[in-house]
Amino acid sequence: MKLKIGVDLGSTAIKTVIAQEGEVLWRGRTNTAPGQEEHALRLIGSGLRALGFAMDAVAGIAVTGYGKKLFADASVRVDEIGANAAGLFRLSGGAARTIINIGGQDLKVLRLDENGRVADFRMNDKCAAGTGRFFELAARLLDTPLGGFGTLSRRACQDLELNSTCVVFAESEMVSLLSRGTPREEIIAALHRSVARRAARLLWRDAPGPVWLDGGPARNAGLVEALEDQLMTEIRVLEEPQHTVAYGATLALAE
Amino acid sequence: MKHAQSANREELFHRKAERKMAAESAQLLAALRNREDYRSEFDAFLELLSDTSDAAAARRSGRPVLKLLCVQAPLELIHAAGFHPFRVFGGSLAAAALAAGNLPALTCPLLRAVLGELRLKASPAAGWILPTTCDWVVKFPEMLRLSGVEDSPQIEWLELPRLKSRPDSRERWLTEIWRLKEFLEKLAGRKIGRKTLLESIGRYARAAAARQKLREARIEGRLSPLWFMLVMSAFFLDEAGGWAARVERLLPALTRRRENSGGRIFLAGSPIVFPNFKLPLLLEEAGLTAVADDLCSSERLFPGTLTTGDGSVFGLVSALAGSYHQGCLCPVFADNERRINNILNQRREAAFQGVVLGVLKGCHPYDLESYSLEEPLKAQGLKFIRLETDYTQEDRQNLLTRLEAYRETIRNAE
Repeated sequence: MKLKIGVDLGSTAIKTVIAQEGEVLWRGRTNTAPGQEEHALRLIGSGLRALGFAMDAVAGIAVTGYGKKLFADASVRVDEIGANAAGLFRLSGGAARTIINIGGQDLKVLRLDENGRVADFRMNDKCAAGTGRFFELAARLLDTPLGGFGTLSRRACQDLELNSTCVVFAESEMVSLLSRGTPREEIIAALHRSVARRAARLLWRDAPGPVWLDGGPARNAGLVEALEDQLMTEIRVLEEPQHTVAYGATLALAE
Repeated sequence: MKHAQSANREELFHRKAERKMAAESAQLLAALRNREDYRSEFDAFLELLSDTSDAAAARRSGRPVLKLLCVQAPLELIHAAGFHPFRVFGGSLAAAALAAGNLPALTCPLLRAVLGELRLKASPAAGWILPTTCDWVVKFPEMLRLSGVEDSPQIEWLELPRLKSRPDSRERWLTEIWRLKEFLEKLAGRKIGRKTLLESIGRYARAAAARQKLREARIEGRLSPLWFMLVMSAFFLDEAGGWAARVERLLPALTRRRENSGGRIFLAGSPIVFPNFKLPLLLEEAGLTAVADDLCSSERLFPGTLTTGDGSVFGLVSALAGSYHQGCLCPVFADNERRINNILNQRREAAFQGVVLGVLKGCHPYDLESYSLEEPLKAQGLKFIRLETDYTQEDRQNLLTRLEAYRETIRNAE
């Protein structure tokens, strides 16, 4: 059985999945930079080498994400919301009905039908509040790696509020809190609550739970807890939540 | 380098905005001429849109202009008095930027652009007829002053009753229209007689018939939604009969074309004003075909043919008043259920599968009404998406992502 490759050309990262018969064999990620197709091809090359295959073992490359039109050799181009739905539905064993996806510069909520297709969706407008970019900005400002956000926010004991509608205002608030000596963990916990409020505003009141969270920020346990608290429902996260969209793209390739 | 003096700077701002505005229009017009479905018969409209000023409209119509912002003032009455009703354009990003100072941050982009364009090319002699529709329009004279366009604009207000179904509202509106007639007669220095009014009504009936043919051509796939919108955009740049004649010459040239395969949709929401065709262009890019709309800048630009059994001046004016008030689907009305019915009725004719509702940031009536439209339309099996945007291009990719996913929800439902 030939290999299927999914490439998600996102605004902050390029994610690639190599799959065979619906099973993920390899995942790779690199930061988005000019020359996206070249970066993606390099990523595919390293994946194939790691698996011991050559390009002739590949059935096709499905491309999705903001940059999908920049990849000239795509076998098929897939809309990223549809790919997200298909990927998470399959990886959740057909259980997912509601998804929150936090991407580099957008925040989406999806409602799936019983076949895993998109029944409805909502997406934030052009502000970066509540997106991956918001977390990156906070990490730089607080001089704290993103990987440590979850652990740090658990130490917070205050109930600070951060702006959830404008990333620029939220940044000013963070600067102001830092200058007043507010501990980082309190600011990070406030940031998680701010993103959770933003997501909750998008989500339908009658959205069936549990809610599946994916995208890079889904690995942040502090955010997951804040979302559970805000939405009053269980949040489930897959092992590699950043690759569900790329995996979903592979499902669009014909057998 | 020596800094320019303030008067000089103002001049420089104006020149820069003028250049950018011209480039916006020229870019769109050139793109339209390069399309596969371009026909030389479209030139009659492209030529009109090469100058969207009130001065150009006055020159082409051979009449003094009265400026409008909304669609509730009876055009037939204005024409019968010897004036050319001209709905000002407000679709330029550069013009909106020019008017940015002294206005609230979330000012309706359309009015912002109107103010910018007026700063550059308004004819102060031409007065305004303004129905009291949304809050932005009510505050428009203040905005004219604050943005340095006109200190004491000549405005004839029409107080618009917001409850269409109440009988006293109809009477109040009729009084307003009767007062408008007297105002126009005083301005023109002559009475509006039955014969002139009938002639004017006939002229607009011809335009309505031409629009109906255009609608049919769009539904049948002989005219793309983009060209439909462009032809409608040129309406106020010629007198109604002249525009209708141009459409009549265009119609035989329209032949069946390949339709986008992504799905047929109804386009609703805030007006889309030339040259800001961002949303229709994105719809096309996403493979969606807007086969019908209820935009007051497009299909709803003027009401349908007037029907009345009373041919007296009073009867005609009463019928006009009713048509422009009772028939209006603007979201400023408190009782606007007809808007949903209109969409559902059009669905029978145009066979669309979903509704795309575009809201301009700051356009509160359309924004609010979008939420009350969503559930009933979904309950009727229509896919619904609401897109909020402004005149900038930076959210194109975000909007396109949504439209592509929306197209898939339509396909999935088939």
